[in-house]
Amino acid sequence: MPAEAKPVHNPIRIDPEVCVKCNLCDWICPGDLIYKEEDNRETLPVVEYPDECWYCGLCQSICPVDAITIIFPKQMIQCKTDVTTLLGKVVE
Amino acid sequence: MPPAPWKTIDTDVFVIGGGVAGCMAAIPALEAGLDVVVAEKGKVLDHCGSVGCGVDHYLTIMESGPEWDTPEFLLKHVPELTDGIVDMAVTSRVIHEMPRVLRKIESFGVNFKDPRYNDYYRLRSFGLPGTYHINFDGTDFKKHIGQRVRKLKGTVLTRTMAVQLLVEDNRVYGALAFNFRTGEWVVIRARAIVMAAGEVNRLSLNASGVAFDSWHTPYNTGDAQAMAYRAGALLANMEFVETTLTPKGFSAQGLNALVSEGAYFVNKSGERFMFKYDEKGENARRAVIADAVINEYLLGNGPVYADCRHLPPDVLDHMEATLQVDRYTMPAFYEQKHLDFKTEPVEVSISELSIRRSGVYFRGSGLAVDTDGQTSISGLFAAGDCATVSGGIAGASVLGHVAGEGVAAFLKDRSGALPEVDMEDANAIRERAMAHLETEREQTLSWKAFEDQTRRTVSDYVGVRRNDKGLRLALDTLRALAAREPELRADDLHGLMRVHESKSIRMNAELMAECSLTRTETRTRSSHRRLDYPDTKDPEWRRFVTVTRGDEGPRVGTVTCENALAAAFDRLNPGGVANAG
Ligand SMILES: Cc1cc2nc3c(=O)[nH]c(=O)nc-3n(C[C@H](O)[C@H](O)[C@H](O)COP(=O)(O)OP(=O)(O)OC[C@H]3O[C@@H](n4cnc5c(N)ncnc54)[C@H](O)[C@@H]3O)c2cc1C
Ligand code: SF4
Ligand code: SF4
Repeated sequence: MPAEAKPVHNPIRIDPEVCVKCNLCDWICPGDLIYKEEDNRETLPVVEYPDECWYCGLCQSICPVDAITIIFPKQMIQCKTDVTTLLGKVVE
Repeated sequence: MPPAPWKTIDTDVFVIGGGVAGCMAAIPALEAGLDVVVAEKGKVLDHCGSVGCGVDHYLTIMESGPEWDTPEFLLKHVPELTDGIVDMAVTSRVIHEMPRVLRKIESFGVNFKDPRYNDYYRLRSFGLPGTYHINFDGTDFKKHIGQRVRKLKGTVLTRTMAVQLLVEDNRVYGALAFNFRTGEWVVIRARAIVMAAGEVNRLSLNASGVAFDSWHTPYNTGDAQAMAYRAGALLANMEFVETTLTPKGFSAQGLNALVSEGAYFVNKSGERFMFKYDEKGENARRAVIADAVINEYLLGNGPVYADCRHLPPDVLDHMEATLQVDRYTMPAFYEQKHLDFKTEPVEVSISELSIRRSGVYFRGSGLAVDTDGQTSISGLFAAGDCATVSGGIAGASVLGHVAGEGVAAFLKDRSGALPEVDMEDANAIRERAMAHLETEREQTLSWKAFEDQTRRTVSDYVGVRRNDKGLRLALDTLRALAAREPELRADDLHGLMRVHESKSIRMNAELMAECSLTRTETRTRSSHRRLDYPDTKDPEWRRFVTVTRGDEGPRVGTVTCENALAAAFDRLNPGGVANAG
């Protein structure tokens, strides 16, 4: 499925040096995006479904060691969309 | 192979959605000594739902002395706030209960006071006829409510999505759900059920094109409305859409803080245009502000900006300090955009659309309820953003609490065994769901592509500019999509949740298009703008548009707003006025 194979923006960066592998981000994410092996102090959390992020920041706010940074994608930071394209088409 | 075993649960009350309304409904039911089970998509009750990260305003009557702070005064203004389309009976109950529920939430440990004054800091916004909004640091609002549920020993099924109600002879007796991490399916038998799964999002396009970038939580997808509709419940106000203003590129909260603190909206010529649209200027209702901005863009006056530069430094500092309370990531957004809202105007866009309460207080879209929060299905209650009377966290708290007390009263003199669940039916429903995980099928459709088509259709033809032709075109497309639902593909259990959400979204979009077609007038500006019927028709259209499931698709009707929506409930009026006219 080539459409889904293209690289997806990663909404959060988890600093592997800082992360204490506590699982909190996995538990808190409202979208079920972050997966961390339970009871394994060796493995890092993984963002399994990066394109389903709400950019809510709950993971960042809960992380006890500030290992998480939110990174907005270009479409959000430099949004070029013409707002009138969101306002409907009129069929005569 | 024999079908996999089910986890079975028998309980008094089953609550679908552990957000604000669900928790507030669970509390009085638990206090009444009932057994309560909550199903919630999230894992941590204290943080799940729309407000897991915090809130900053709470609409309430406090009866602090002045006339405006009484239920009677606010109620008198409700018809004008809702353009006459409102269930006054339920709204009256909600408004009267506001002071009591506020005190109760305070008793859970929520501090509504502003530490700067050690008092309530109350502001006026959104056209309300008084300073009804308490501005407060609600970072822990949900935490306190969730803790209360746990303290009272409510059972929470986390990471569990409810997908189907079990109803017999218009009486609800259970539901089916599954855990999207373990794959375990649960059959719940309950003597009453509360629907509290929130509004409908992921419904239309936004400025960024990032599908889950939405003002309200993208994980609330109208599941309660879709489930209850399929089970025969009456819905109302589904034609109305809601949108807000957001910094362009990030569909986020913040409009309330902006307007209540005194920001201006200006167009590309620097003109402060809001007074052209409403004498209250930036303090107009949300629906009016959104409509004005839509109009400015259509007139070619865009971009539109939010301008705070005239505000005194202490107000700007307060705004900056509280920027993250309503949306935690807002400071990061401005920072990564290199934009300082204190010294530069912020370009704004309208957000994507949702079906919630169309930018006005007390006129919710979704499940019609009576004054106890009970829907047209016996034993099925609803509250929060999926119900026909709502208003942010306060509306969800109060109607949630009303519904919880309603459940307790409903169950008081009812005993006896619940019907047995027909496991053959349950297995068939589960099998149909699990079929989405089959990879070896001739034709499959990704839920993302399916949703994109729904969103494109809604934006183009069911959004803020509607006409007969466009709506019919949309209905054709949405029904063609429905026919393809069996093809939907889930790559894993998480995807299976998304597939169910996509179906709910499409279902709600279809109901919205149907109901919009029926209301042949314009009401509350772009909340329901019919280009082919541009006028508001009073008194002819002082009616609710209602919808139930008919034999051949949605059955639309109307009810005069002089009545409560419950007047259309068959269980209260056998053979009565439901869908008359
Ligand atoms: C970031 C943000 C800030 C806000 N700030 C304010 C504010 O300051 N003041 C204000 O008045 N309003 C605010 N609102 C609006 C307010 O949060 C909502 O109106 C309110 O939460 C509605 O309550 P609810 O219970 O209907 O929905 P929610 O609180 O969202 O709860 C719905 C719950 O149902 C669950 N759910 C959904 N589908 C299913 C399913 N199929 N099975 C199981 N569970 C399911 C969800 O996971 C969720 O937890 C804000 C909203 C957001 C998103
Ligand atoms: S920002 Fe929110 S949605 Fe995105 S990964 Fe973090 S918790 Fe999940
Ligand atoms: S919350 Fe922070 S420390 Fe804990 S697992 Fe996630 S990133 Fe690591």
